Amino acid sequence: MLAYALKRSFSAFLILIVVSALTFSLSHLSADPALTIGGEQASDEDIQAIRDLYGFDRPIYIQYIDWAARAMSGDFGESYHYGERVSTMIAGRIGTTMTLGVLAILFALAVSIPLGVVAAMRPNSLLDRFALLIAVLGQALPTFWFALMMIIVFGVWWRWLPISGNDTWAHFVMPTIALGYYATPALMRLTRAGMIEVLGSDYVRTARAKGLSPTVVLFKHALRNAIIPVVALAAVWFGFMLGGSIVIETIFNLKGLGWLSYDALLRSDLPVVQAIVLIFASFYVVLTLAADLLNAWLDPRISVR
Amino acid sequence: MKLIRLAVVAGFAASLTAAPALAGPDDDSLTVAWGSTGPIENVDNYFNTNRTGIWFSRMVWDQLIYREPKTFEYKPLLAESWEALSDTTWQFKLRQGVKFHNGEPFDADDVVFTLNWVSNPENGVKVQRNVDWIESAEKVDQYTVNIHMKKPFPQAFEFLSGPLTIYPNEYYAEVGPDGMHKAPVGTGPMKVVSVKTAEEYVFEKNTDYTWGSPKGEAQVSKLTVREIADVQTQIAELLAGGIDITADISADHVDQIGGVPGFTAMQAGTMRTGYIGFDAAGRGNFEPTTKLEVRKAMAMAINRQSLVENLIRGDAGVIHTPCFPTQFGCDEGAAVKWDYNPEKAKELLASAGYPDGFEIDFYTFRPADWAEAIMADLAKVGIKASLTKMPYFALRDKQRNEGTTPMFLMDWGSYSMNDMSAITSHFFKKGADDFALDDEVAAWLEEGDTSSDPEVRKAAYAKAIGKITGEVYWLPMFNHVRNYGFNERLAFIPYQDEIPRFWQYGWGGS
Amino acid sequence: MTDVAEAPRSIGQIVDDALEPSPFQKLRKRIFGNYSFLLGLIILLTIIAVAVLAPFLAPHDPYETDLASRLQNPFWHEKKVDPDHLLGTDKVGRDYLSRLIYGAQISLLIGFSTMLISGIIGTVLGVTAGYFGGRVDMVVNFIINTRLAMPVFLVAMAAVVAFGASLMVVILVLGLFLWDRFAVVMRSITMQARDLDYVKAARAMGCSTPYIIVREIFPNVLGSLTVVATVEMANAILLEAALSFLGFGVQAPTPSWGLMLNEAREYMFFSPWLLALPGACLFFLVLAINLFGDGLRDVTLEKGR
Repeated sequence: MLAYALKRSFSAFLILIVVSALTFSLSHLSADPALTIGGEQASDEDIQAIRDLYGFDRPIYIQYIDWAARAMSGDFGESYHYGERVSTMIAGRIGTTMTLGVLAILFALAVSIPLGVVAAMRPNSLLDRFALLIAVLGQALPTFWFALMMIIVFGVWWRWLPISGNDTWAHFVMPTIALGYYATPALMRLTRAGMIEVLGSDYVRTARAKGLSPTVVLFKHALRNAIIPVVALAAVWFGFMLGGSIVIETIFNLKGLGWLSYDALLRSDLPVVQAIVLIFASFYVVLTLAADLLNAWLDPRISVR
Repeated sequence: MKLIRLAVVAGFAASLTAAPALAGPDDDSLTVAWGSTGPIENVDNYFNTNRTGIWFSRMVWDQLIYREPKTFEYKPLLAESWEALSDTTWQFKLRQGVKFHNGEPFDADDVVFTLNWVSNPENGVKVQRNVDWIESAEKVDQYTVNIHMKKPFPQAFEFLSGPLTIYPNEYYAEVGPDGMHKAPVGTGPMKVVSVKTAEEYVFEKNTDYTWGSPKGEAQVSKLTVREIADVQTQIAELLAGGIDITADISADHVDQIGGVPGFTAMQAGTMRTGYIGFDAAGRGNFEPTTKLEVRKAMAMAINRQSLVENLIRGDAGVIHTPCFPTQFGCDEGAAVKWDYNPEKAKELLASAGYPDGFEIDFYTFRPADWAEAIMADLAKVGIKASLTKMPYFALRDKQRNEGTTPMFLMDWGSYSMNDMSAITSHFFKKGADDFALDDEVAAWLEEGDTSSDPEVRKAAYAKAIGKITGEVYWLPMFNHVRNYGFNERLAFIPYQDEIPRFWQYGWGGS
Repeated sequence: MTDVAEAPRSIGQIVDDALEPSPFQKLRKRIFGNYSFLLGLIILLTIIAVAVLAPFLAPHDPYETDLASRLQNPFWHEKKVDPDHLLGTDKVGRDYLSRLIYGAQISLLIGFSTMLISGIIGTVLGVTAGYFGGRVDMVVNFIINTRLAMPVFLVAMAAVVAFGASLMVVILVLGLFLWDRFAVVMRSITMQARDLDYVKAARAMGCSTPYIIVREIFPNVLGSLTVVATVEMANAILLEAALSFLGFGVQAPTPSWGLMLNEAREYMFFSPWLLALPGACLFFLVLAINLFGDGLRDVTLEKGR
């Protein structure tokens, strides 16, 4: 088990290195950072001085190693545009994105699990078909379009909800729904499939045969088993959602990491872009690592493979 | 679809009757949204290059000189009077009894410290051009200051009445740009209560601003500015009552918002000058634009009048000069004017060796519709332009670094300075933004920039204008329009220098 | 990690064949008994027909501007309707209906091309890993995990900034990113197929590896391949729309639905049809592809597990 955990952790670490190296070279293709730092008024000598100061003339892999070494101690350098420490900027923005991500995934689970369970209890019924219809329709709706429609209806016409900012919990309602609904179809289908399988399994039949009430069977025996893969998938989706928050944060003027990365891309603010990519990747890697290790712990056969 | 329309109408009607007082007249506060081109990175006036940074600075700080926004006359502000001691020295008598927001009294020490600090290149002020003409500032007595210039600098007053805001010496020496960003302190009509970078700034009325400043006292006791990058979100907030005014909307929004009961929208022309630049010097090795006949043909193929009438509107007009006509030296009579004449354009193309036209890459960072209208005009004479719309900073990088932009639709706001050196000299003195690389033009501009005799300046600038337009290095297009949408009860005043004075807008009743 | 690619179940899957008809009847019954498949197929074929016949269907040149008749109202609007432009015009006076019609070409082009590129990459990786196993499998697994750890949207935006926005760049970037599901599914299916008797037999007879893969394994995975392909196609179309919406996608004046949404945003409060129409087109296309994919699974794949 320990060997397996070590092996998986090492591989996760390696993944982060590859991801960050790819992003690093990609973003350094896009713009001459010396020009960005120098600004409009910089003379050619100024630009050269900046290149020397930051070492932009060095080969890119040397620059990467330099960056990676610092990044490991939490030092992502300074934003070219804001002149602030990237780590400070991220620390100030990550809360908003995390709040949004957690709320969105909770929303998705709150909608998809009951729907999935109900659908599984009566497969092929009207209710089941209705749930699947919602899933199919939901998957085809562009997130940003859905978000705009909500703003028009709930923000402008009815004035029920605040449109932009993150001052109160009410500010998070529309962004949460917009970001969360996209995950519901996948989670609901998994819940439904899992429930159908579990309900047909021997031990549920046994439990029923023992005369336990249907409610007890449903919640105590069936749902508990069916829900584990759903939660695992939700963890993975959480990682995706952080990345998907770019559009939502931009539309609802939430100043989180998604917005920050969008703003930084517009300004070729490379240190910020690199740091955010690495953070999003880390979230994904850590979450899947945790899920894998948990699985291995529950099912020792996995670590042997 | 009828139903949907009904719903729209019903929705607006409902929203009007509901009208919750989120912001607005009831609590003597004003909420502003700005930021469609990105948030201010550092609200310290010397460490940002945003248009909104200028708007911010006018609320919090004052300059020595006030430029009357309608007539562009210079009037006393922190300085009461001034005189030239020599070609390169001005003496300023300062106003007495002015206090900074932190209680520090204003005197010569503040002026001397500020000007010497910002003009020291080691302190890294972002726009060196604003300060690099200052040799030094010197205290004569507690309320008299001499400013020495490196060489005769005729545009000095444009800078002294614009970007050169005066800081409190003791405070700034202690906290520097970082501290000034977190807690700005000035003499201006609004005091800063809080700064949340990229999110929100809160101001309150400076009740000590009673010394007769021509800028006037604040009309509301509390002012909040929200940085909202998305214009549509700004409009949604405006319609929903979350903000009272935005300055980022489009010309089409003006008609639309103006049509909603309770709201007014207005267009105000600015000195921001739009132009199409051509790579005449061949920096990107693109053959056609290096030929004068081709550039002339393109100038005649583009229907600027139709573009202005249909897309820009307001008091925008076609511009023929590579600068804005109110700017010093910007003589329209000196410019070669190119009228819309697609037939002549085709002939010119044929004689330049392109009877069937050619393909060209066209760059812009502005909304694509302007460029699309231009491309459609060019297509009529056989020139097939393909558009690349890029973020502003990326495009500037590409231009300055690679120079591979044969044709580009750009614009320049001149930092609201009413002197053509702020635009033409920036682009045609062989710097990284120069795609003409014309020695003669550069020399004339240098002469105009440094002579202290206004007539000599005008003559030199006129020659430069003549050659830039005659050679079609630029095709000047139109001046931009700022479009404002606001609550109809707000007493809004538009200004041509693209600087809304938010503190002057009060609730006028109705 | 396979959870991510867990093929969702569908409405048709539940339909039970009560009788035992001939194989042909069975297929026909599956096709016609599967409403979602039929509906998806019909919509999809319609959109493809519209795209192919665009030059004949479109009343105007989708690129022809006319500033004098910009922002004309659509036919249902009460005031000032130009009979020449059924759905009105956009902000430079182009016929909106014609642009919507040509937009089908762009979305389908992006969907198909992306699917082809990602399909080839993913299938090669997946089949290789699944067939050879061992170290090869480990390496491929690592590549898949690296790809999954990348925040696609953010990295795609960075790539577009680096290489310049154009239809080609968007297709290539999406194609290079969206192969993960192909790889995961192909890998596990190939692993199962490898152990089938006749594949084993082929190997025992000394058939070459490429021969086995192409002749024996490939026909086995074709069904799943098509299903994954539809999912990825829908995905690519939505991602392009989101990229174009933020201004990181195809360039104007290309009549892409995503770009049209981006341009229409300016009018979302006052001329909502400009936003609603391309949004609806996207919705129906993605919906059709999803329904078709879901149905396809039921029609081609043997039921059960």
